[in-house]
Amino acid sequence: MTSAQTTPDSPTPGNPIARYQAYRTRRFLANERKWAGRLPGWRSQHRRRALVVNLTIAFVAMFAVSIACAAGVWWAPLLWLPACLVFFPAWGMLQIVVGRQGDAPSDALDEWEIQQRNAARSVGLSVTQSLMMIPVAYLVVGAVITGGTDENMAYAGGLMALTVLLVGGCTPGMILGWTRPDPDPLDE
Amino acid sequence: MRRGEKLPIHNRIAVLRAERRMTRAQLATAVDVNPQTVGALERGDHYPSLDLALRICAVFDLPVEAVFSRTEFTPLSAALYPAQGRDAGGTDR
Repeated sequence: MTSAQTTPDSPTPGNPIARYQAYRTRRFLANERKWAGRLPGWRSQHRRRALVVNLTIAFVAMFAVSIACAAGVWWAPLLWLPACLVFFPAWGMLQIVVGRQGDAPSDALDEWEIQQRNAARSVGLSVTQSLMMIPVAYLVVGAVITGGTDENMAYAGGLMALTVLLVGGCTPGMILGWTRPDPDPLDE
Repeated sequence: MRRGEKLPIHNRIAVLRAERRMTRAQLATAVDVNPQTVGALERGDHYPSLDLALRICAVFDLPVEAVFSRTEFTPLSAALYPAQGRDAGGTDR
């Protein structure tokens, strides 16, 4: 809902959370106005899905780098940079074409958008919790086996955790980008 | 939101909008949602909250049951002219 109405679900006006939410909403709406018409050629479902596939490739590459680091390949960390070169442009473009609705404040969305955002976020949280078990198990078991002395293991575990956090954080936007239908000319 | 059996909510938004020569964007502005949400309502992809349903009815100046229904709407022309042998007021000749 784009109006600043107070509903029974809204926090009490004047409390810090309400003021912060109002600030987030103002910033979000200002950014939305700024970016709304950008990248018109990338707003079709086909193009958005291409961006999601690029992001998935970047995440797989990041995870592969972390495994290579765990194996002690000294030059493996350098491969993180090409993965970032794929990740940052693809993520930035996807955020623009889905209107950053995966992490938008509720007051900036209408009820259908909130419903979609919440469903996507719910999946994102599940993905984060499930995948985070991998680096956690690796670090805990690895620390016990090596006595906490293996630097490669700690470095690789950190990269794995970072990759999983990126995957989880990006999942809502990726879901919205993948599932939203093509823009309907009747909506113009 | 946990519900029991999901019951359909049909609507006449597209017909009423066309009748009044409103675009989705105009209706969306009138009820303070995005035009894509009006499209989702018209396609039946989204069932509106009571608040949104009442705002839509206020735009068309119609009661809720004229815009939303559990059963599928018949065409407006069929509702106005129910069957042959009846006049425009729907009474038997």
